[in-house]
Amino acid sequence: MNPILQARHLTKRFPGVTALRDVAFDLQPGEVHAVCGENGAGKSTLIKLLAGIHPHGSYEGELRVGGRVAAFRSVREAEAAGIAVITQEFALVEELSVAENLFLGRPPRRGLRVDWPELHRRAASLLKGFGLDLPPQTPVHALGIGQKQLVEIARAVDKQSRVLVLDEPTAALPASEVGVLLDHLRRLRAGGTSCIYISHKLDEVMAIADRITVLRDGATVATRDRAATTIPEIIRHMVGREISDLYPRRRDAAPAGSDLPPHPRPEHPPARLETGGREPLLEVRGLAVARTRGGPAFLQDLSFAVHPGEVLGFGGLMGAGRTELLLHLFGAWGHRLRGEVVLRGAPYPAPTPRRSIERGLVLASEDRRRHGLVLGQSVGFNLSLSSLGQFTRAPGRLDRPAEHRRNQALFDSLRIKAPGQQTPVGGLSGGNQQKVVLGKALMTEPAVVLLDEPTRGIDVGAKLEVYALVNRLTAEGRAVILVSSELPELMGMSDRIIMIAAGRIGGEFERGDFSQEALLAAAMGRTAA
Amino acid sequence: MNLRFPLQNLAMPLALLGIGAFFALQEAAFLGPRNLTQLLVEFSITGTLALGMFMILLTGQIDLSVGSGVGLIGGIAAVLVFHHGWPAPLALAIALAAALVLWTAMGTLIVRQRIPSFIITLGGLLIFKGLFWLVIANATVPVSRGDEDNLYALLTTYYLPARAGLALAALVAAAMAWLGWRARRARTAAGLPVRSAAREALIRVATAAGIVGLALLCNASRGVPLSLLLLAGTGGAVYFLSQHTPFGRYLYAIGGNEEAAVLSGIPVARVLVGAYMLMGVTVALTGFLTTAYSGASTTTVGDLMELDAIAACVIGGTALRGGRGTVAGVVFGALIMATLLNGMTLLAVSPEIKFVARGVVLTLAVWVDVKLGRK
Ligand SMILES: Nc1ncnc2c1ncn2[C@@H]1O[C@H](COP(=O)(O)OP(=O)(O)OP(=O)(O)O)[C@@H](O)[C@H]1O
Ligand SMILES: [Mg+2]
Repeated sequence: MNPILQARHLTKRFPGVTALRDVAFDLQPGEVHAVCGENGAGKSTLIKLLAGIHPHGSYEGELRVGGRVAAFRSVREAEAAGIAVITQEFALVEELSVAENLFLGRPPRRGLRVDWPELHRRAASLLKGFGLDLPPQTPVHALGIGQKQLVEIARAVDKQSRVLVLDEPTAALPASEVGVLLDHLRRLRAGGTSCIYISHKLDEVMAIADRITVLRDGATVATRDRAATTIPEIIRHMVGREISDLYPRRRDAAPAGSDLPPHPRPEHPPARLETGGREPLLEVRGLAVARTRGGPAFLQDLSFAVHPGEVLGFGGLMGAGRTELLLHLFGAWGHRLRGEVVLRGAPYPAPTPRRSIERGLVLASEDRRRHGLVLGQSVGFNLSLSSLGQFTRAPGRLDRPAEHRRNQALFDSLRIKAPGQQTPVGGLSGGNQQKVVLGKALMTEPAVVLLDEPTRGIDVGAKLEVYALVNRLTAEGRAVILVSSELPELMGMSDRIIMIAAGRIGGEFERGDFSQEALLAAAMGRTAA
Repeated sequence: MNLRFPLQNLAMPLALLGIGAFFALQEAAFLGPRNLTQLLVEFSITGTLALGMFMILLTGQIDLSVGSGVGLIGGIAAVLVFHHGWPAPLALAIALAAALVLWTAMGTLIVRQRIPSFIITLGGLLIFKGLFWLVIANATVPVSRGDEDNLYALLTTYYLPARAGLALAALVAAAMAWLGWRARRARTAAGLPVRSAAREALIRVATAAGIVGLALLCNASRGVPLSLLLLAGTGGAVYFLSQHTPFGRYLYAIGGNEEAAVLSGIPVARVLVGAYMLMGVTVALTGFLTTAYSGASTTTVGDLMELDAIAACVIGGTALRGGRGTVAGVVFGALIMATLLNGMTLLAVSPEIKFVARGVVLTLAVWVDVKLGRK
């Protein structure tokens, strides 16, 4: 059969980086072709060429669609040729409703006017198909990140393209919704649609892909039939070495086998952590929080504590309130109705992000583009943004060389893949942006670290580095609260897990009692045995 | 990027040269030392206000009230001096305090009540204009009584004696070279990138030559104007604030992504109010300078100066949506604006055409800003 899409000798250069070198890639009709690789391997860049985001002429090499040479100058031209893309960055209009976004630029019409009833009807049925129980009038900015992802996918699927390109579509989706998405893709494939699928979740890749291409440092290192390969083989191609233990939680000593350089110390460390003892670093009693003043309780009856050296995991379904809980503790969301929070032995009644950081409580947010980063500024600017106090000398002057040294230490120890800390953070690959968000949080020398989906969109190797980092933090006597939608990760890294169901505690588990079934049952609000 | 950068850097000097050449060809007096000194005073006025506006624009906000504010604050000081016989320094201090109060109030309203700055400062534009006319009772109020020279009048009429000007220029040039050299050493020690030694030396020498040359040029006429020193001081302060303090970082961060700034623990409200207070200070300074320059407070003082300030910032590469811009760019933009206005006045261009020209320049600058912003 003739490939529907064929790329040859693709080379794409950015200032200081060659993102793709001489890449070959093809896609058969009715095939799901997965692309894997580490952060910064060039996956997103490859599909941006296919989708016209990097226009013809900005790269070298040849692109053929349906046998004919294609020279897309814009996304629109690529769409006209039947290629629809869902990028890693959302492309929804925040101020418009879900329905309007779904049919943006192509609403059903009656005469010249938009046929609103028809639009809402079709939107509702589309949403239902994706298991999204939302009124189509909901404005997009009110959605969680996972829901946005589904809306975006629904929109692309509905365009009935010949080629559907998905860049990490499930990074923000919990397991249940991943199943829905994969079913959809199978149905589309049966109908003859081809699909390019980028993901760091290799089990997912094995479940859906017909073929798998691995990129490393911008070059194709292997293309395999799914049936003829295994996850370990793919990982080996991706990172160029074997990885044995995927969730290396270490409870006691510093990570022995870790090859990370030592944690860089600031030149002026803030107040030392209280050492020893089982006094909790953070304790929450009977917390109830409303979305807005006067609203009904969204989170309630929450009581828990986290101790020095401990990782407390929070699991739950999408929309259960885990992100809101972290944001509230940090001081960035909701109105507290009841309950108290004790941070490092002192009551902490009125949190704000600034106070939290001063007192050693820090949040690494899940939505890095919106909450985490100033995209137009450099890596260094972002890394030190929360910690400028450490570099301020009388009478308020920034010691920029000191700042630079500290940034560089973190830049190196996190292995951020970029030409240097002067690189604009917006040009980094998704996973490397995530590392910058983590680095910014760590530089504040926190006692309690709130990590919201810290490994979203990052590759196997980088995940290990994040886990090693968590181990290092707890070995230093800090406490970590980890929110994750990936049960294996949650179970692998937590000392204790609390499942949140509809804003309440659905169950609490000690490490010995972890099991997927029990956790899931608790997440659904059913009491486990 | 490699291609765009030098082009962008060269665009402004080229534009300035072009504008200068055009006026010089039309009217030889344009390049005369007398007109050039006058141009420098006008440049000081536009530049000071633009430097305040720069910090507001960096955060993604705007201030439309500064033109009326300039009139009002200058008017208050003039009334205190002329009608009430206050000593000029006291009158200036009181007017400065009034500016601080007004701008703190506007900043607080914008931050606490979450009213867009566009609306609040548009209200300010009208309110200050009304107050201004009330304060001066629609009359012309001179900045000094009789012929005596007070501090107020001297702001734009005092020129440093030739020797003092030259000595000061040499001192500033030497200080800049020394500071630059020290900064370079610190950067090298920290592993920060530095320019090549030859380039660095060239830049240092060129800056020093430029400063001393400027002093010599001024000395050919009446000397270095005091107002230019005020601009230099303001420029230095804003440069230090924006590049070497957490406050400056926060301005850029808020303009780049306000939500992320809040979550990074930046005291966004305090920083914004601070930016408006600094705007108030530059409004007062500009008000004193421009009122002194026209010799008296009259109803038209400060008219449309907010637009000149915004245009200067945008021409100098400050993004209207915030997060991008440099002090050097703003100062250059102000020089371009001042040159345009000065040249047109010299050629006795009619007010009608002047309005059109100012509008065209502003529109062009914003258009380029939008084009670049999309990249
Ligand atoms: N617009 C850009 N400007 C400069 N460099 C870029 C740009 N886009 C990508 N790069 C660089 O190209 C390389 C490949 O990036 P790409 O986004 O394709 O990686 P990726 O494989 O998608 O990684 P991830 O899994 O983290 O999303 C990276 O080194 C990145 O920094
Ligand atoms: Mg990517």
